[in-house]
Amino acid sequence: MTQRSLELPVLHSRRVDHAAAAATFTRDVPRTDWHDDALWFVREKRDRAAATVADWEALRQQASSIKEHALSHLDEYLEQFEAQAVRNGMHVHWARDADEHNRIVHDVLEQAGARRMVKSKSMLTEECGLNPYLQSRGIEVIDTDLGERIVQLREEGPSHIVMPAIHLKREEVGDTFHEHLGTPAGLADPIALTRAAREHLRAKFLAADATLTGMNFAIAETGGFVVCTNEGNADLGMSLAPVHIASVGIEKVIPRAEDLPVFLRLLARSATGQALTVYTTHVHGPREGQALHVILVDNGRSRQLAREEFWTSLKCIRCGACMNTCPVYRRSGGHSYGSTVPGPIGSVLTPGLDLERYASLPFASTLCGSCTAVCPVKIDLDAQLYRWRQRVTQAGLSSTTKSVASKAGAQLLTRPRLFRLAGAFARFGLRRMPSRVIRLAAGPWAKTRDLPSAPSESFRSWYRHNRSAAGES
Amino acid sequence: MSARDAILGAVRAARPPAVVAPATRPAAASDQSLLIDCFAVAATAAGAVVTRCAANDIAIHVPTSAPRVLSAVPGIPSTVAIPDDPRALADLTLFVCQAALGVAENGGVWVATNDAWYRAALFLAERVVIVLAESTIVSDLHEAYTRIDIRATSFGAFVAGPSKTADIEQALVIGAHGPNELTLIVVA
Repeated sequence: MTQRSLELPVLHSRRVDHAAAAATFTRDVPRTDWHDDALWFVREKRDRAAATVADWEALRQQASSIKEHALSHLDEYLEQFEAQAVRNGMHVHWARDADEHNRIVHDVLEQAGARRMVKSKSMLTEECGLNPYLQSRGIEVIDTDLGERIVQLREEGPSHIVMPAIHLKREEVGDTFHEHLGTPAGLADPIALTRAAREHLRAKFLAADATLTGMNFAIAETGGFVVCTNEGNADLGMSLAPVHIASVGIEKVIPRAEDLPVFLRLLARSATGQALTVYTTHVHGPREGQALHVILVDNGRSRQLAREEFWTSLKCIRCGACMNTCPVYRRSGGHSYGSTVPGPIGSVLTPGLDLERYASLPFASTLCGSCTAVCPVKIDLDAQLYRWRQRVTQAGLSSTTKSVASKAGAQLLTRPRLFRLAGAFARFGLRRMPSRVIRLAAGPWAKTRDLPSAPSESFRSWYRHNRSAAGES
Repeated sequence: MSARDAILGAVRAARPPAVVAPATRPAAASDQSLLIDCFAVAATAAGAVVTRCAANDIAIHVPTSAPRVLSAVPGIPSTVAIPDDPRALADLTLFVCQAALGVAENGGVWVATNDAWYRAALFLAERVVIVLAESTIVSDLHEAYTRIDIRATSFGAFVAGPSKTADIEQALVIGAHGPNELTLIVVA
């Protein structure tokens, strides 16, 4: 086995406070419930779709094993992909980090004299901050996925990796389109709004001199890649623009064509409850007269691969199922995570980029394990969240409340007499003290919970009276 | 050091213990007569209109009212010529093409081409009609990939239904950027 790196990421920049952001989000109770229901609706669709596949669990295991195999031979598969892609007429670039990726995109556009680029969904380019980078250099960048276009017009980030505008109500989309696309004020019908976006974006597709897509899968054996969409936006971009740039994280490489059905059968069912996305497009070269550039991006992925406790998080195929099922995500919204990828998988991937900044994310979970239960590639998300909590605490980055409470807890639990005394105080307090005082003592835990009524005696004393004698006889 | 060497070096140094590739899954056994019905149900669920007919009757099922038609199927006439620039197909009303196979479990059909106009028409046309031989329908995606060669063409796609979105409050809207209607003609 090779040398494993245990170093922690460079610590810098301002911290994301998930709990504070969530508190702001949940202040609007009906809206929080609405958000919760919207995500749960998708989770239920996923369940129904998964139930139609007889060997669903075997399929998950297969997908997990293929990804683990691929990641444990990633250098070989990257080289194979590169060689085959070049044979297919693609230009292959490598980017160590976000800056290098953005520079490569800009250079390609400059050399082609391209000023207008249409983009289909790519969380990687969100992660790299590509849009502001290009816009500040005079390039028009239009996100063409409807949800992404909506949040782009509103100058927000996506709140979900599959449904970027899931946090918005139709009236808000209507207001945004009224302001930017000139739809009638008050128009909030999803069909009419989608038609307006279609017309607006059709013109952008036809005028674009470059397009950028992500990749769902890069296939080492064939040197091609697969892009999945329902809207057909990636395809319109690829079919029309003279320059196509496809950016991909290095972890997305799979070995063979025959691995594709395993992932494709899981992906759409897990994401939206569809049996298959409308368009599952395979690209094995530029069309005639087109230039096709592939950018393989590391940006922290090789560091995550080196982390013995977290490398399997790179198996992720970005279906979003862990978000839809997460009770914390559903009731705090994607923006509260302050990271490109929110939810359980985001809280496992993002701390690896900047532990100090994202120290609160591993705590944005109840550790209920629902994410792990739905993950199509069997990432043990709850276990990894728990391990990140330990890393955060070891690095001295957990919140003061948490570290004081944990230390006090440790003192209490290692001293039986002190523990019994504390129990007696707590029972007395719960019975006799004003609830305001006792709530204060219980800390944030009691903010949204009723305190229990005090039992008349401790379990230890109850057991001694009721069971230990019987046990001895 | 080049970015390529730096990344490959970092990946090599980070390699987790080797995991063996799992064995390929065997394709499910299937009954062809059931498959056609399953395919029709799945494609309909995906929003496609499914019509079955005899080989000589394909033309009957292609809408005749469309003013700007491009056809890649012999016997179905085009009303527009194949342009040099695919963007010239922006106002195409109808595109008629052929699929190499259909997948019963999800209603997807495999459309592949090297031609830029063909590829653009599939997404630009208001309506798309895809002709498919019923003998080509397979049970699931595993079987589909044993029948197709994804390397054979620069473009190949499974198409399952007309373009759609649910990005505004989860309300399903048919006809996002691509075709508003997809008709599948399954030929006996």
